[in-house]
Amino acid sequence: MNDSSDFDAIDSLLSGVAPQVPLPDPAERRDLRERAHLSKARVAEALGVSPSTVSGWETGRDPVGEVRKRYAYLLDGLRAKLAPEAIEDAEAVEAEEEAEAEEAPVPAAAVDDDVEVLAAPEPCVLCGNPAAQRIDGFAQHLDPAECTAAEPAPKVPAPKAPAPEASPRKPRGRAFQEESGPGELVTRAVAAALADHGGDVDDATAALVKHAIPDAMVLLDETRKGARYDVVAHPALPKILRKQTAKGADQVWEARPKWTRRVLPGGAHEVTALDMNAAYLSALKTHLPIGQLEHSSGFEHDRRRAGVHLITPPEWEYEDVLPNPIGNRDEPGPLWVTEPTLRLLLRLSGPKHRLCEPPEIHESYTSGSTENLLEKFRVTLTDARARAIEADDEVTLEYVKAMYSKFVSTMGESNYNRELYRQDWMHLIRSQAFANLWMKAWKAHEEGLHVVRAMGTDELHVIGDWRRVFPEGRGVTEVKVKDTYTVGEGS
Amino acid sequence: MPEKSIQFGLFGARGIKGGEAVANQLDRLAGGIATPVTAKRGWTARLNYLTRTPHAVRAAKAAGLTVTDRTLKAWRDGKRQPSRASLEKIERAYTAVRRQNVAKHLLKRLNRDGRGTRIEIHPLNQSQVPQPHKRVLSMRTMNVRDWDALVTAWAAGDTGGLETAWDDTVVDLGSDWGQYEYVTNVGFAA
Repeated sequence: MNDSSDFDAIDSLLSGVAPQVPLPDPAERRDLRERAHLSKARVAEALGVSPSTVSGWETGRDPVGEVRKRYAYLLDGLRAKLAPEAIEDAEAVEAEEEAEAEEAPVPAAAVDDDVEVLAAPEPCVLCGNPAAQRIDGFAQHLDPAECTAAEPAPKVPAPKAPAPEASPRKPRGRAFQEESGPGELVTRAVAAALADHGGDVDDATAALVKHAIPDAMVLLDETRKGARYDVVAHPALPKILRKQTAKGADQVWEARPKWTRRVLPGGAHEVTALDMNAAYLSALKTHLPIGQLEHSSGFEHDRRRAGVHLITPPEWEYEDVLPNPIGNRDEPGPLWVTEPTLRLLLRLSGPKHRLCEPPEIHESYTSGSTENLLEKFRVTLTDARARAIEADDEVTLEYVKAMYSKFVSTMGESNYNRELYRQDWMHLIRSQAFANLWMKAWKAHEEGLHVVRAMGTDELHVIGDWRRVFPEGRGVTEVKVKDTYTVGEGS
Repeated sequence: MPEKSIQFGLFGARGIKGGEAVANQLDRLAGGIATPVTAKRGWTARLNYLTRTPHAVRAAKAAGLTVTDRTLKAWRDGKRQPSRASLEKIERAYTAVRRQNVAKHLLKRLNRDGRGTRIEIHPLNQSQVPQPHKRVLSMRTMNVRDWDALVTAWAAGDTGGLETAWDDTVVDLGSDWGQYEYVTNVGFAA
């Protein structure tokens, strides 16, 4: 007994000193890691060592033992992932591998051990097409017959190169990271609603839309976990933000555009009515006051604060070609505008544009501001929306739309949402949407299009080849065509 | 009461009693007739509410609508208009009866089977206080599980009771709870 256990110990020792796994030279180790955008800290965490150890390995020291094997595996894996970027070398790699295979014929059992079946197909290092197996850390086809594109790949290196770079990146994130976080709330709610209604799309959509406001509030809470600022939901608001009468409005001017060009350029033109996608969703990114609004009077604008301001707007001299950034205001004199409108006016009066005089600020109700308050909320919904469009999932699309639009419209004094009483935010977000539309009109004007009309939150009518200015599509940065019509003589 | 304001407003602090702020928010949540009592539409709506059933009439009389049935009928038939003093009486009775009627439902929603409701306490306004006398005050939030005392005092229009109930509630804030005797606003949803 004693003898045999002694030999066991010796055997395990011997297996320990078996040929050391080869590693690339230190400079290449570092290069591989950097090209994969991995930090030392992340690599170190994965390998169970300290980041300074990883630094050591990348400047000349060599790891030993178990951790060396794991490090070698990581570097192999990285090389396999990054290989498609240098597709020109595909043939060389292929040749090398073949040479290796011939040099050291490995027993069949060992080959089987090294073959991993991939859950998410990865691009084959040889041909770039999705392969379901990984051999020795390299995703590739087992059967050479499947490797069809092996020859054409090197022939067209230039256009081919960027394509595989985009494709392997995406699945990498998904494969290693389970979807979690706030986005899951949307997915789960949709799945539950569909299950409740036996897959009836209309009923499920109706049920989801009905629940959109409380769901949006839950999502907001979820996205503020661990955040720096609390959402202050019930501040005491100044009188100007209170409704004057039961049905009336408060005193804040949101600068909603409602402008039609008076004089059209001569001749007949085809006008395209463009619709900005999800304007209120994008407008959630704005400088929002965090806490209670405090009064101040003076002409200085503090960029770190946001709120509402009493200003005398500057004269607008370009009414013929561009809408007035404060909307079409009938009454003259000072008016209460919100932060986005003020910032738009300040920007337009700045040295870059010089389109008008700077506005005169008389008094302000402001609070320290941040642009990030609703940022995670916005990104979550934008992602859910993009995924729904990609998957042609009308239920999720409707649900997301109801969430953000109702969230904005009921965050004020509404009885439908009593969790949040922020009239100021509601005004600011709406104004931001209008300011965004104004900037789109300005962009069209700058690019030589004729702006014919700017209406409401998301409607822009232009003459000219708008496709070179705005991408067409359903994404939040894209526009869709609402209508085309002809104006001018001879129509 | 630790850290409390002994002579509130001596150095220019502004605010209202915490209980009063709670009552304001409860009134906002209770809702009711929005048209002012001075408009005909407003007082007729309130009278209708107060005289719809014999039970309502009894509650209105108990709440201080001390007029004869004959007068009530004349008002309702449009033969006479209530005087300014009567309008005030109508308004007071309406508020009291409305609060009593809504209290039960509000209480249930606020207690939420013992889970309670989170409140936001906005501290008193110190913008007019000279710097040496200013305190470090911040917005506080807390979960209030037991609303019985607050809502009962509000429904009964009992100002003293509201103050006591508020003090009993903010004790949970910690050792500086006395600073929140006066506030600018108390916010919560129901």
